Amino acid sequence: MATQTNTQTSMLPQGVGRLTTTWKLAMAGSFLLFAVGVFAFVRELSTGMIETGMRNVGTMGGASWGLYITMVVYFIGVSFAGITIAALIRLFNLRHLRPIARFAELLTVVALILGALAIIVDLGQPLRGVVNLFRYARPQSPFFGTFSLVIAGYLVASLIYLYLGGRRDAAIMAQYPSRLQRFHRWWAAGYRDTPEERDRHRQTSFWLAVTIIPLLVIAHSTLGFVFGLQVGRPGWYGTLQAPAFVALAGVSGIGAIIIVGAVVRRIVHDKSRIDLDVFAALGKFLLAFLLVYLYFMSVELLTLLYATPEVEKQLSDALLLGEYAWIYWGSVALLVIPGLGLLWQAFKRRWNVGWLVAFGIAVNLAAIGKRYLIVVPSQTHGTLLPYEVGSYSPSWVEYGVVLGLLGLGALMIGTFVKVFPPIPLREDEEVMVDA
Amino acid sequence: MAKYAMVVDLNRCQGCRACTEACKIENNTGQSMFWMHVFRFEDGEFPDTRMSFLPRPCQHCDNAPCVKVCPTGARFKREDGLVLTDPDRCIGCRYCELACPYGVNYFNWQTPEASQYSDVIDWDDPDIQSATGGLSPPYRNPDLDEEWGSERRRTAGGNHDKGVMEKCTFCVQRVEQGNLPACVDTCPVTALRFGDVSDAESPVSQFIRENETWHLLEEAGTEPSVFYVGGKPPSHSYKEVERPKARV
Amino acid sequence: MQEISRRTFVKGSAVVAGGAVVARNFLFSPSEVVAAESGLALQGGVRDVVPTTCWIGKQDCGMLAHRVDGRVIKFEGHPANPRNNGTLCPKGQAQIISLYDPNRVKTPLIRTNGKGGTGEFRTATWDEALKLVADNVNEVRERDPKMVLWQKGRSKAKGFYDDAFVKAIGSSKLGHGAYCSDAGYRALEYTIGTHAVLHPDFRYCNYMLSWGWNITNAGGNKFCWLTWPQHMIKARERGMKIAHIDPRLRSAGPFADTWLAIRPGTDLALALALCHELIALDYLDRPYLRTYTNAPFLVGEDGMIVKTTVGEGDDATDVGLVWDEATSAVVPFGEAETPALEGSYDFEGQEVRPAFEIFKEHVADSTPEWAADLTGLTADQIRRVASDFGENALIGSTLVVDGVEVPHRPVGIMAYHMAQQELGFQTIRAMVMVPMLVGAVGAAGGQLSDFTWKIDKRYAQFEKFEVEDPPYDFMLNNSKYFPINTGFPGIVAKVMLDPERYEVEQLPEVAILHMVNPLTAFPSQAEYMESYEKFKFVAVISPWLSETADYFADVVLPAATIEKYEGPISATNQYVEATTLRIPPMEPLFESKGEIDIYMDLCEEMGTLYGEGGYLDQVNKALGLVDDNAAFAIATDTKPTVREIFDSWALSQGIDEGIAFFEDPNQSVFVKGPMSPNKMYGYVFDPPFGGALHRLYGESLLDAQRQMRDKGADEIYWQDYTALPTWRAPTMDASPDDYEFYLISYHMIEHKQSRSSFVPLLAELAPGTRLDINPLSASRLGIADGDVVTVESHNAITGETRSLATTAAYCDGIRPDTVGVPHHFGGWTHPQNKGQGASPNEIYFVGEGYMTNTADQAFHVKVKVSKGGEL
Ligand SMILES: Nc1nc2c(c(=O)[nH]1)N[C@H]1C(S)=C(S)[C@@H](COP(=O)(O)OP(=O)(O)OC[C@H]3O[C@@H](n4cnc5c(=O)[nH]c(N)nc54)[C@H](O)[C@@H]3O)O[C@H]1N2
Ligand SMILES: Nc1nc2c(c(=O)[nH]1)N[C@H]1C(S)=C(S)[C@@H](COP(=O)(O)OP(=O)(O)OC[C@H]3O[C@@H](n4cnc5c(=O)[nH]c(N)nc54)[C@H](O)[C@@H]3O)O[C@H]1N2
Ligand code: SF4
Ligand code: SF4
Ligand code: SF4
Ligand code: SF4
Ligand code: SF4
Ligand SMILES: [Mo]
Repeated sequence: MATQTNTQTSMLPQGVGRLTTTWKLAMAGSFLLFAVGVFAFVRELSTGMIETGMRNVGTMGGASWGLYITMVVYFIGVSFAGITIAALIRLFNLRHLRPIARFAELLTVVALILGALAIIVDLGQPLRGVVNLFRYARPQSPFFGTFSLVIAGYLVASLIYLYLGGRRDAAIMAQYPSRLQRFHRWWAAGYRDTPEERDRHRQTSFWLAVTIIPLLVIAHSTLGFVFGLQVGRPGWYGTLQAPAFVALAGVSGIGAIIIVGAVVRRIVHDKSRIDLDVFAALGKFLLAFLLVYLYFMSVELLTLLYATPEVEKQLSDALLLGEYAWIYWGSVALLVIPGLGLLWQAFKRRWNVGWLVAFGIAVNLAAIGKRYLIVVPSQTHGTLLPYEVGSYSPSWVEYGVVLGLLGLGALMIGTFVKVFPPIPLREDEEVMVDA
Repeated sequence: MAKYAMVVDLNRCQGCRACTEACKIENNTGQSMFWMHVFRFEDGEFPDTRMSFLPRPCQHCDNAPCVKVCPTGARFKREDGLVLTDPDRCIGCRYCELACPYGVNYFNWQTPEASQYSDVIDWDDPDIQSATGGLSPPYRNPDLDEEWGSERRRTAGGNHDKGVMEKCTFCVQRVEQGNLPACVDTCPVTALRFGDVSDAESPVSQFIRENETWHLLEEAGTEPSVFYVGGKPPSHSYKEVERPKARV
Repeated sequence: MQEISRRTFVKGSAVVAGGAVVARNFLFSPSEVVAAESGLALQGGVRDVVPTTCWIGKQDCGMLAHRVDGRVIKFEGHPANPRNNGTLCPKGQAQIISLYDPNRVKTPLIRTNGKGGTGEFRTATWDEALKLVADNVNEVRERDPKMVLWQKGRSKAKGFYDDAFVKAIGSSKLGHGAYCSDAGYRALEYTIGTHAVLHPDFRYCNYMLSWGWNITNAGGNKFCWLTWPQHMIKARERGMKIAHIDPRLRSAGPFADTWLAIRPGTDLALALALCHELIALDYLDRPYLRTYTNAPFLVGEDGMIVKTTVGEGDDATDVGLVWDEATSAVVPFGEAETPALEGSYDFEGQEVRPAFEIFKEHVADSTPEWAADLTGLTADQIRRVASDFGENALIGSTLVVDGVEVPHRPVGIMAYHMAQQELGFQTIRAMVMVPMLVGAVGAAGGQLSDFTWKIDKRYAQFEKFEVEDPPYDFMLNNSKYFPINTGFPGIVAKVMLDPERYEVEQLPEVAILHMVNPLTAFPSQAEYMESYEKFKFVAVISPWLSETADYFADVVLPAATIEKYEGPISATNQYVEATTLRIPPMEPLFESKGEIDIYMDLCEEMGTLYGEGGYLDQVNKALGLVDDNAAFAIATDTKPTVREIFDSWALSQGIDEGIAFFEDPNQSVFVKGPMSPNKMYGYVFDPPFGGALHRLYGESLLDAQRQMRDKGADEIYWQDYTALPTWRAPTMDASPDDYEFYLISYHMIEHKQSRSSFVPLLAELAPGTRLDINPLSASRLGIADGDVVTVESHNAITGETRSLATTAAYCDGIRPDTVGVPHHFGGWTHPQNKGQGASPNEIYFVGEGYMTNTADQAFHVKVKVSKGGEL
C-alpha cells in the first residue's frame, strides 16, 4: 500500500507532493527568516516602537514612516502586475501566456498578504488596529481607510480568481489518489469539466477580470494619492505621483513574475511547460513599463533640479547630492542598465532567462529604493517650518521584521507549488473517468 | 457654542519656554515631547544679526489635514475648535503626523513609565513611594484620566499609552473647567492669549481686532485657530539655536 | 493692568482681593460653564491649593501649589503676587520634579572615606550627625569663634535665621556676593548710597541702556528675572527704546533697538566717552550737580577736598568748601547760592578747582574715537547713544506722579553683572555718572537703584578708610590689599593656601556650608580643591549632594527644598509694596528638615539656643521682635516651632490672622499698596536722596590709595583706588596674542546657577554646556558647528594655563573676538549630570589680575580655542 501511494503520488504532475531536499532546505531557510521576523516583532510589541529607527518629524528630527511603509508600497506594487497579467490573459485569452497565469495570481495573493501584514507591523497598536480600521473606518482617509478596504476587497477578488481558475485542474488532480486528494476534491468542488461548466467558467472569470481592472486602478491611484495629496510634505504633493506609482508597480511586478517564473520552471522539471517566448513576452512587458517609468523619472529629475522653494531645494539636494544620493543614483542605475539590456535582447530577438532574472532582481531592488526615497526624505528634509534636518535609519528590528515577511512569502509560495500545479494543466490533459 | 483661539504675541515673547514646561507638567507628556515648542532663531551675519522667537503649539486648524487623513476618527475636530486625539481609538499609524504641515504631533514611542525621565529618576524608590504611591510622574494629573466634552473621550493630556499619537489639546481639561491653558497661564509676559472668538467682546476677539495678525504657513490652507501678532513668518534661512534635547 | 485682565477676564476684581482660584477662571457663556461643570465629576481625590513661593530662583515668585490628597501636582504663579502676577518662568514650573527626586539627600550622612575625592557616606540619625557637628564646632569656638567659617551662596527669602545663627555662635561669615555683583553694590553705596546696582524707572523711562543685562534670560538689578521683562514689555509698548550693550545679542533676543557689541571688559572706557559727549553737548543738569553731588567741592592740588569745620564740640563736622558764583567767594557747601562747577580759583595760596572741573578735564581725552578703539564699537555708535541719552533726558522737565511733582528724566541704565569685570567697581561708578550728569538719578522715568531710597550704612563708612597694618584676619578686612572688602571666598582660599604672602596668621578650622557650592559655582575650582582640604571639619547643609559636599563634607545635613517655612519674602515689583512667606506645600520629604529647624536643633546641641544672645534671642532681633515689637517676641527658653516664629512675626506686622493669613491661598500676599513716589524717587525722598551727597569725586578712594602705598602694597592692589574712574587695560590683555578670544559666561533662562542642571525637565530644554563662537572666527580655525573644541585660558600674571573641552555652537550674535560659555554645568553628583560638560569656572582664574580692587571676582579671561579634545 505504502509503495503504491508513493508511486501514485509520484505520478502527480509538476512534482506536486514530491518534497525534494533542495525544496526542504529552501523552506527551512525561509522559516528561519520568518522566525527572526516574529522575534523582532514581539520585541517591538513589548517595549514599543522605540525599538525601531523611526521618530517624530519636527523637533525629534526623525521620520515617522520608514522601511515598513516602504515595503507596503512595494508589495502592493508587485501584486498589481500579477493580477493585471492574469486578468489580461483571461480577457484576451492569450493562450501562449496561460502557463504563467496561475503563479501570477499566486504572486498577487502573497504580495497582498505581505502588504497587509507590513501595515499591521507599522501600527503602534497593531491588535487594536485590525479592529478599529474597520470598526471606525473613515473611507475619506486615502491610506488606511480606502486603502485597507481596497486591499481587503482586492485580496478577496484575487483569491476567488485563483480558486475558480484552478477548479478544472483541481478536478484533474483529484483523480490521483494522494494525501492531497481530499484537498483537491474540495477545490474542484464537484467540477466535472462538462462543456457547459467550462463555458460558465470562462464567463465568470471574464467578468471577474473586467471588474478587477478598475478596482486595481483605484487601489494604486489611492496609493499614489496617499503621498500625492499631502500639502504637509514637500516632494509628495503633485499629481504625477499616481501614474508614476503604477508604472513602477508594473516594473517591479513583472520583474517578480519573471523571477518566480524561472523558479517554477526549475521546480516542475519541464521547460516545455513554460517556453522561451513566455519569457520573451514578459521581457517585452517589462521593457515597456520600464520605458514609461524612466520617462516619469526624468520628469521628476527635472523638477528636482529646478526645485525653487527653499524646502524643496533642501530636499532635492539631499536626494541628488546629500545623504540619499547613493540610494537615488543606485536605483537609477538598477533601472537604466536592465533597460538597456532588455532593449538589446529585444533588438537581437534573443531572450536569455538568466539575464531576465538578473534584470528582474535589479529592478525590484530599484523599486524598493525608489519607494524608500518617496517615503523617507520628505520627512527628514522636508519640514515646512525650519526645523533642523532629521535623520532616519532602520533598526535591526525593522530589518528583522521585513526579512520575516519575505520568509513568509517564500513559505507560502513554496507550499503552494507542492500542493497544486503552479502551471495550469493543458487543455489536452483530459479528466479521466475512473473505472 | 464657543470657538476657541490662541494668539501668540511675538512683540512680547521672551523665548523663555515657560509655556513648554507648563505644558509638559500639566499634561504629563513624556521625555522629549514638546507640544509647545519655542523656536529660537538667529538670522544674518555679525554684526547685522537678528534674533527671533516663535512659540509653536498645535494650530487647531479648522481645515485640519490631520483630521482628514485619520483612518479611525481618533483625531477629530470639535465644534468649539479644539482638534483632539482619542488615545483609546488611535491605532498609531502616524498618518496625522505626516499630514500635518507644522510638525506638532508626538507619538508615544515608549511605554508611559519609561518615558517619564526614568533614565535618571527611579520613581519606584521605596522612600518616595510613600509620598507618590509610585506614580510616574509623581505629579501625575488626575484630570487626564477623565472623559471630556459631550463626546466623552479621554482626550486630555498625554502619556496615556504606548503606540498612540498625542499632541497639544488646547488643554481641554482646563478649558472645560473654565481655566486658561497651562502655557497661556504661565507666560510671564502675556505673549500668549486665549479665549472665545465667537464672542466679539471677549478680550481675545478685541485683541485680534486691534492688531494685525497672521497665520503660520498660511499657504497650506489649514485655517489655523492660532493667530500670530508681530514678528514675521520664519524663513528657511533662519538658523535654529539652543534646540532642546528632543530625541528619545 | 492687562496682565490681570488677562488672568481674570471679566472677574478683574478677584485678583488683588486674592481669590486665587477664582482669579484663574475666565468668562464662558453661562451655558458652557454649566456644560463644563455638569460634565465634571472629577475623581482623583481631594483637591486643594497651598500658597508658597518659588524655591529655585532668587526672587521667590509667589506660587500656588495645586494638590490632590496632599500630593502636589502643579505649581502655578500666584495671581495676587505683584512680583510675578500669576506667572512662572521655566524653572519655577520645573522644580516640581525635583521636589520628588529620590536622588535628594534623604538622611543625614557621615563621611567614611578621605576627602578630596568622590565621597563615601553612611546614613546617620539626626542626633548623631548634629552631635558630631556641634562637638567639632564647639571645640574650635572655645578657642576662637572667628575660626569657625559659615559660608552661604545665593540665598532665597530673608536670611534672618542664618544671620541669627552666625551671631549666636560668633563665627566668621562669607557670602556669595563677590561672585555676584558686590563690586557694583559697593560702587553705588559709595557713589549714591543705595544698596543695589542699576535699573531704570520702567514706568516712565523712554530710553534705556541695557548694559550687560541678560534681558531674556536672567536677573538684571536684584531680581531673578521675570519682573523686569514684564516692566520692559509694557515700557516698549509705550515706546521706550533700548540700546543693548553686550558682546552677545542672545541676551536681548529681539528687544535691542540698537546693539552695541562691546569688547568684554571695556565698559569703563565707553562710560567715560559717554560722559565726554554729554559734557561736550552740554547735556548737564547743573542744579542737580550743584545741589546733590560733590561736583562743586573745591579740590586742592593734593587731590583732597578743601574743607572747613563747622559746628562746635561733638556736632563739629568737616564740610567741603565751594566757590559761590553769586558772591565770588569760597564758602562752605550749603551756604553758597550758586556753587561753581567749573573754573579754577585761588584759595589760601593754592589753586583749587571744583571737582566737576577736574572730572571734565579727566574725560577731556575720552573722545568717542578713543573709546571706539578700545571697545570695538564705532565712534558714531557712541555719539548716537550719547546724544539720544542726553536728548531723551528732557533736562529741566518735571512730572506729577501720584500727586507728587518729581523731576522727570526718562533715561536710565539696567546693569548688574557689569560688576563682574576686573575694573568692575570703577566701571559701575563711571556708568552711574552718565545718568548723574543729566540729573536722572532718582528722577521719574530715570535712574533707580534700590527699590526705595534707603541709604546703606556703608555710605558713611566709606567717607574714610582706615587701612590697618598686618597681621590681617583671613578675610583681609581693612587690609592694605582691599580697603573695600566684603568677603571673597576666592581670596580666602588663596590666603589659606599661602597665609604668609598675605600676612595672615590665623586660618579658619571648621566650615559650615549652607546653600553654597563653590566647586562648580565659583571660580576657581583649583583653589577650592586645595583649600577646602585644609579644613579639619566641614558640614554641609543642602538638599542635594553638592559637588562641594561630595568632595569635602564630613557631615551632610539634608535640607528640605520647598517643603519648609521661609521668609519674610519681599514681593515688591518696585511699584507695589508687598510681603509674603514660603509655606510648605507638603511635609518635608524623606528625613529632610527646613534650615530653621536645623539651626535650632544644632544650637540646642551646641548649647547656644536659649537665653540672652542665644539663637532664639538673635531670631527675635533679626525679625525686629524687639523694642516696640517686643510684645511679639518668641520665648527664648523653649524651642518654638518654625510656624510659631512666623506667626509672631506676622502678628508684629499688624496681620491679625498671624501665620494663617499666609497659609490661606485667598490671602497669603500682604499687599501694602502702591510704592509712594516719596519712597521711590531720590529727589522727593525725605531728606532728598536720603541725605547722601552723591560722590562724583571719590576723595576717600584716593586717600585709601595713599595709605595702601605707604604700607607698601603693590600697584596691582592700589591702581584702581582713584578719585575718578580711570581707564586702564585689563590685566588679561597682557596674555600672548594666540590667546585671541575673551571668554565670557552668562546665565541661561532654563538654569539657576549650578542648582538646577540636574533637574530633568530643565536639562531636557538646555542639555549641557557649549562654546558660543562666531562662525567667522570658527571657520578660520577650521571649527565646524558641533565640533569638539578645547578652550585654554591663560593667566597673564602667573602664566598658568587651564583648559576644558566642549562642543562649538555657531553663534552669529557674538563678537568674533569673544566666546561664551554658560556657567550652570560641570556637576557630577546627580545621574542627570552625566555628559553635561564642564563649567567655565574650571578655567577662570581667581586672584590678582582677575578680581576687582574690592576683592570681587572677574568673569573674564583670554583664551585660545582649538579643534579637538576629550569631552
Ligand atoms: N535664569 C537664570 N536667572 C537668574 C540666575 C540664573 O542662574 N539663571 N541667577 C540670578 C542671579 S544670582 C543673578 S546675580 C542675576 C544676574 O543677571 P545678569 O546681570 O543679567 O547677569 P548674566 O546672566 O551673567 O548676564 C551677563 C550679561 O553680560 C554680558 N557680558 C559679559 N561680559 C560683558 C562685558 O564685559 N561687558 C558687557 N557690556 N556685557 C558683558 C553677557 O554676555 C551677558 O549677556 O541673574 C539672576 N537670575
Ligand atoms: N562662571 C560663572 N559663575 C557664576 C556666575 C556667572 O555668571 N558665571 N554667577 C555667580 C552668581 S551671580 C552667583 S549668585 C553665584 C551663586 O553661587 P551659589 O549660590 O553657590 O550657586 P548654586 O549653584 O546656587 O549653589 C547652591 C547650592 O545650594 C544648594 N541648595 C539649593 N537649594 C537649597 C536650599 O533650599 N537649602 C540649602 N541649604 N541648600 C540649597 C544646592 O544644592 C547647591 O549646592 O554663582 C556665581 N557663579
Ligand atoms: S512663556 Fe511666553 S514668553 Fe516664554 S516662550 Fe512661551 S510664549 Fe514666549
Ligand atoms: S496643526 Fe497639525 S495637528 Fe494641529 S490641527 Fe493643524 S494639522 Fe492637525
Ligand atoms: S495615528 Fe492615531 S490619530 Fe493619527 S491618524 Fe493614525 S489613528 Fe488617527
Ligand atoms: S494649550 Fe495646553 S496643550 Fe497646548 S501647548 Fe498650551 S499647554 Fe500645551
Ligand atoms: S523668576 Fe526666579 S523666582 Fe521667579 S519663578 Fe523663575 S526662577 Fe523662580
Ligand atoms: Mo547672583
